[in-house]
Parts: sequence; C-alpha cells; structure tokens
Amino acid sequence: MDTYSHNSKPRLLEVKELSISFLKQANAIDRVSFKLEAGKTLGLVGASGAGKSSIARAILGLLEPQAGEILFDGNSISKMGKHQLKAARRRMQIVFQEPAASLSPRRTVEQTLLEPLRHFDIGDSNSRKDKISQTLRTVGLNQEVLPRYPHQFSSGQQQRIAIARALITDPDLLIADEAVSALDVSVQAQILQLMQSLQQEHGIAFLFISHDLAVIRQIADDVAVMYAGQLLEYSPANTFFNRPAHPYSKALLSFARFDTAPELPIRPQPVQHGTACIYAGQCADKMIVCGRFEPEFHKIQHKKESHCVKCHLYDEKNTNDM
Amino acid sequence: MTHTTWQRLKDDRYGIGGLFIVAFFAVIALSVWAGLLGQGWSEVSGNRWESLSAAHWFGTNLLGQDIFQRTLFGAATAFEIGLIVTVFSIVLGTVLGALAGWYSYSWLDEVILWIKGVLDSIPFYLFAAAIAFALQGNRWAMHLAMIITFWTTTARIVRGEVMRIKQREFIEAARAIGLPDIIVVFRHVLPNTAHILLVQSTIVFVAAIKTEVILSFLGLGIQDGVSWGLMLAESSQEVLAGHFGNFVAASVALFIMLMGFNLLADALQDALDTQRVNS
Amino acid sequence: MTDTALTTALNVQGLSVWIKTASGKQQIVDNISFSIKAGEATGLVGESGCGKTMTAFAILGMLPAAGATLESVAIEVNGRDISSLSSAQRRSVLGRDIAMIFQQPGTALDPVFTIGQQITAVHRRHNRSKKNKHRQAMLNSLAQVGFDQPDKIAAAYPHELSGGMRQLAMIAMATVCKPAVLIADEPSTALDSGTRALVLKQIKRLQTDHGTAILMVSHDLSVIRQSCENVMVMYCGRVLEKTDCQSLFTHARHPYSAGLIACIPQLNARSASGAKAIPGQVPAPSAFPPGCHFAPRCEHAASQCDLSVPGFLAENEQGNERGNERGVACFRPL
Repeated sequence: MDTYSHNSKPRLLEVKELSISFLKQANAIDRVSFKLEAGKTLGLVGASGAGKSSIARAILGLLEPQAGEILFDGNSISKMGKHQLKAARRRMQIVFQEPAASLSPRRTVEQTLLEPLRHFDIGDSNSRKDKISQTLRTVGLNQEVLPRYPHQFSSGQQQRIAIARALITDPDLLIADEAVSALDVSVQAQILQLMQSLQQEHGIAFLFISHDLAVIRQIADDVAVMYAGQLLEYSPANTFFNRPAHPYSKALLSFARFDTAPELPIRPQPVQHGTACIYAGQCADKMIVCGRFEPEFHKIQHKKESHCVKCHLYDEKNTNDM
Repeated sequence: MTHTTWQRLKDDRYGIGGLFIVAFFAVIALSVWAGLLGQGWSEVSGNRWESLSAAHWFGTNLLGQDIFQRTLFGAATAFEIGLIVTVFSIVLGTVLGALAGWYSYSWLDEVILWIKGVLDSIPFYLFAAAIAFALQGNRWAMHLAMIITFWTTTARIVRGEVMRIKQREFIEAARAIGLPDIIVVFRHVLPNTAHILLVQSTIVFVAAIKTEVILSFLGLGIQDGVSWGLMLAESSQEVLAGHFGNFVAASVALFIMLMGFNLLADALQDALDTQRVNS
Repeated sequence: MTDTALTTALNVQGLSVWIKTASGKQQIVDNISFSIKAGEATGLVGESGCGKTMTAFAILGMLPAAGATLESVAIEVNGRDISSLSSAQRRSVLGRDIAMIFQQPGTALDPVFTIGQQITAVHRRHNRSKKNKHRQAMLNSLAQVGFDQPDKIAAAYPHELSGGMRQLAMIAMATVCKPAVLIADEPSTALDSGTRALVLKQIKRLQTDHGTAILMVSHDLSVIRQSCENVMVMYCGRVLEKTDCQSLFTHARHPYSAGLIACIPQLNARSASGAKAIPGQVPAPSAFPPGCHFAPRCEHAASQCDLSVPGFLAENEQGNERGNERGVACFRPL
C-alpha cells in the first residue's frame, strides 16, 4: 500500500506496518499503515474494540509496538532519544472521549493549562499568562474559568478546557479519540465547528477517531476503516461515502443509514493469522478464497487519489477468474 | 477541602460536635506541652484516695497524686501517641501503597505485598513486647511497634485507590505529554486519595490510643509519663478497694475524646463523599 | 396483532417533578402530558439535563425518595392509574405491565448472576404459580431479541458479553413478562453503528410483533427519527413541541427543534460550515430564565418571550385522542 508522493518534505505522521499485542490479545493491532499530511484530517473509523484507541496511544508513545514503526516528521518515535521524544510530544496532543474524566479533578483549570507550558518550558510567567488567555479565547471560554475546578462545568465546557490544554503547546497534530461522542448534539456541533476553525486558522492536522460516520463525514479529508485490528480500507472521504469499496465499509454505511442491521454474534471471529480474511465470517460477498488466504492491499485507480482496499474482490487475479 | 465539603461539614451537627471535642482536647494537649497545665501530674500533693475537693478537683490516687493533673497530662500523651503514630504510619503506608499500586503486579508490588502479609500475620502485642525488649525499654518502642504494624492498612487502601485512579483518562493525559511517573503520582494521583487518607488518619489516631491502653495494662505502655491507659491500669487495683476516682476520670476522658474523633471521622467521610445524593 | 381500536397503553397527564438542591427546590419537569397507544413508539428527545430521564423515572415511581417530589394528574398504564399505588402494588406492576431499559448496559446488569438467572428472576417475580415455565419464558425472550443460541447466553455472565449483547439481554429481561409499555432510556447511545442498528431493530420488533408501546428517551434525533412515529421535544423541563416524526424533520415549528435538527451531522453530505450550532448552553435548573426557557438562545425571541411562559398550543384537535395533540409551546412559532 504505497503511494508516496515525490515530495522531499516528510509527512507529518506516518504509521508503517504497526503491530501491537497485549497479554491477552495477540494482534490487537495488526500491520496497520496510514499517513497523515500536515493540516489534514484523517478519520479513523470502525466498531468499538477495533483498536483505534490503541493506535492513538502508540502514536503518543504510551504503548510499545511489537513491530512496525511510527514516523513523526520522518523520525521514528521508538528510536527517539529523551529530548527528541519530548520535542515531538509537544507537537502532538490528544483529546479524550469523556471530558470530565480527562481533567484532573483536584487541579484548577489554570493549573491544568499551566502544566504543559511548564513541562515543555514554554515562555516565562508573563507570556504564559497571555498564552492561556489567548488559548481560552480560541476555544470560546473566558478568564473566569481559571480558578475553578472541572466538576463545576458542563461537559461541553469541560471538553473545551481539554481542547485548550491540547492547544496550548501549539501542536501540529491533534488526536481526537471519540472526542465528541459523549456530547449532546448541539454541543457536538459547537465543538466540531471549533475544530474546523482550528484547522483552517492554525493548520493543525487531526487524527479523528470515531465510530459515528456522520461526524466523520463533516470533518475528514481521508478515511481509514479498521476491523479487529486490521486496516481494511483507506480512501479519500468522498470516495468512502459515495463509492465504498470494502464490504465492511458498505456494511458500516448501511448500518449508519439504518438500512440494515448486523447478525448476531456481533464480535469478530478470531482467525488464524494469515490464513483468511479477518472479515470473512461476516462478509456478505464472501468468496471461497476469502476463507483460505489473507487478502493483500489493492489499489483502486480513480483519478489520482490513493484508494486502497484489503479485499480479494479487488484482486485482479480473482476478478479475472470469475 | 473544597467549598462544598466544608459546607457539608458545617451542616452536620454531630460532625461539628466531634470537631469541637477534638479541638478542646487538642488545646489541652498544647497547653500541657507549653507547660501551662498538668505539670503536677507526678507530684505527691495529697493523701491517698482523697475525694473531690477544691484542691484536688478529681481527688487523688493511690499515691496521693492529683487525678485532675494526671488527666490533663494524659490528654497530651494521647495526642503525642496519636499524632506520631498517625503521621508516620500514614506517610509510610501512602508511599508504599502508592508504589505498589502504580507498579501493580510487578516485582515491587509483590515484595511490598509480601512484607505487608508478614507484618499482618504477627500478633501485635507479642510484637510490641519484642520491640520493647529489643530496644531495652526505650520510650519510643511503643510508637515504633504501632507504626510498623499500622502502615499496612493504609497501604492496602492506597494501593487499591491508586490502581483505580491510574486507569482514568486524566492520568493518561498527563503521561501523554511525557510527565515522569513520579510527578504523575504525586501531582495527579495522590491528591485524589486525600479524602480517603483524611478519614483513615482519624481512624488510625483512635486505634493508636486504644492500643496504648492495652499496652499499659501489659506494662508495655508509656514509661516516663502518665496516660489514660496507665491510669486505667492503676485503677484496676483501686476499684477493688472501692475507689473509683482514677477509673472514672480516665475512662470518661477516653470515651469523650474517642467519641469526638469517631463523630468527626463519620462526618468527614460523608462530607467528602462525592457520590452522595443530596438529601 | 389485531387491528381493532388501539388502546392507550400509557397515559401521562400533568406530570411535574421538583428536586431539592443546594439552592432550594427546583422544578425540573414542568407539567408534561402525553399518551402512547399500543404498538406505537413515541420519542422524548432533548439534551442532557432537560429532565427526560427524570420523567421516565417519575412514570415508574423510581425517583430518589429523598429530595424529589412528584405531582401528576394521572399516570395510567392500560387505563390503570399507577401513580397512587402503594409501593407493594407498584412493584407488581413494574416489570409486568411497564418496564424500562437503561443507558449503561454494563452497570444495569448484576455482575454476579448469569443472564439466565436474572431474567428468570424477573419472570418468577410476576408469575409465582407457573413453576416450570420460567426457564422456557426466559429462553423465549432471549430468542426473540435475536440470540440464536439462547441457552449459551443464559449461562453467561454479563462481563462475558459485549456491550451490544448486554443491551439485548437487558431488553430480553425487560420484556420477558411482555409488558404493555417499554421505556427505553438512551438505548443505543453507548453503542457503535452496527450494534445500534441491531438494538433498534429488536425494539421495533417488540412494537410490531407484540404491540408494545415504546417511550424512547434519547438526545439522538436520528435514532428517534428511525424508531418512532411521534416525538416530543423537551428543553429545561418543558415540552416545546409535539408532533409526528416526519413533520418535525420537514418543518419543525419551534425554533429549538429547528435548531437541534440543524445540528445533526448529515451522513450524506458535508455541509459547508460543518453542522450549525445553537449558541449558548443549556442553563442549570437554578438558573432557568423566566418566561420561555429557550428565549435567551433563540434567534426569533421577542420581549414577550422573556417575560411570559408560552402555553402549549394544540393544533388540529380533530381525530387526535386526548393527550396526543400535536402542538408547539411558542409565541412565535416558525
């Protein structure tokens, strides 16, 4: 799955064949690759448990991958020295799903916002005050929030505070891990609007993790679809929503439109590594080869866009035989 | 404590009562340490077993010592034991519990749990006697014995809390910017255990004082002063002879102060309880 | 399911709830009235804090005893008033005539009992005499929510099931006695799109196959649109608009309803400015504005809106049963 442009500048974020295993779960993330350009938004979609949050943690350096690498501005995160890693971390931040849980309950808003500034040695006490005021304005809050504690705010305000904390180091990459999923629809709309304006004005790249396809539609430039730890499809957003290629993508869209519902059992069936397509058990368009061999990534040519699908249906060999 | 906690505490009559009682005894203890009260605790100032009089408000004991003075001094002793044992065992328990919880299921956790298990299995009073013997009657033997055994309860509680707290997202957020573990634990984890530790402190305080009473009966208690426990131990003989002054003074003082602490502990627990439905 | 005159399964008239807060007694549900016929689904939609969950609990009589007061003209299930029942009588009604499923399937099920044990316990509670039928009823209800191996699920503990399966198990538990009314509180909120579709499909089957009346409480308008025929829009304790789902989405009459609908991110198109947002935020009960609660955030508000409370104007009474009127509470409806 390789569509490197002939550009000398490295991509902001590149994930290559990333694999992560946990004690109780081998291949929780299985050879996932994708890239994110500066100032763009990649929507990472899939059901709960597909591994999306684990990827976010690996990017931040909180999880050690078993295989593969993560390149931030061309440098591999696992090979970074302490200082390099700290500099990288300053430029990537995360916003979590539950606003109340993501803010330290016994610290005031001011303390929470000062912490990253202090840790990364940004500015001095005067410029930090200004930075805080400025960031609060950007997220639509005012100075009054500073001496208060998180529990005194609504979830919409709490999420703004969390976003302020993420923005205060002027990051180039913001990971939104289901950041609007726990919010009411009107608050969600406000936060999405805020994120879009952040991207337009500050050129921040977003890795937007969500299971809500309607939200993804509003904000993503590209879409990566995950299922049971594997990446199944990667395409520009419009292509994904209008001409989804992978049967799972089609199913997801169909569920979201309430056209169909999945059959029980809903959990993905484990397959022996490399011996079959991971989605074969639930696939409506399953062929015999799907149960025998793991599919490769195939590129679908459509203008100049990079649209890749991990599916036997798009293997020219198979289609020729049919 | 935050504003709402203080508010809740103020509304709780029993809690405020408990607070006053504790404060009252604390003032007495401070005055004794400052040399203002209870200085005549060892002085033989009267005949034995005098009854209540203007000179001896609570009468005298077997040796003619003034019971009132001894009661006052006993308050200071109670606070001395309570504070020393509480502060050291809570600090020790918190540090070890936090380490065990943060590095849960690692070798460090196993070691700490093993030590905890061993200490919990030793019969306390035997242990106290052994320490007293080993230190050859040093006055701090009693405190030491209590600190060494009391920290385990705090550690168990803190370990559980730390294990719970470290899963929450604000901890992940702190680690995501690369804060070192030790800062995360001290700045973000431990402050969220403060409410539990506050309540636990009052419980340990009470336990320390009660333990001292029994140690006094065993002759392992305070050696160079007087405590209510010692007074109670002395009074066991006196009561048989029909003289209750010592007994009543010590047990009433003990009862009131421990009751005050218990009321305060309950009130604190309710006030700090973040899950409570407003009634 | 016969098509004789449909009975009114749930009838609520004049329901109000007050709670005691640090700043005194606040009204969080203000005079709500509605009715649902057998086999119908009505959505109660609103944002967090609007009082919709409290309404559901009030109907069931499950408000926390300390600090909450309820007043109602009537709460009737199949014509029988349940608001004035003693607690023992009410316990016999809950689960049998009216049941509720909750938002968090993880915490709504008891972790120390198997699914089967929990469901049979419900059936046993309401069917004391039929000894051998409990297990069969339990397996039937599991099969009816879509499990193709009910005995396996019955033997499982809640933590062994995924979130979606737990939600389905909870539906099975709520419906084992075939209640006339089912209240679903945010049934699909914590679920991903596939599971959500499945859960809603099963709830719909209850409606069509068993004639269960459904009250679906949710903040997600797209879910309500998919699942319900009628809808009530609630804000700060008041019902602002009541109509059928289709009408709401094509021409909402209350500015708040219109605003909410404009906020919904569309699956089929990327809007130029993203989803449009309603300015401001939902006030807390202690800070409810006088007059219309929505006035401070409303683009169409006039001075009248800040001063007096708009009553609920029913329109088109013809052919609508009592309590089921369409209408809007607004001085200047769209």
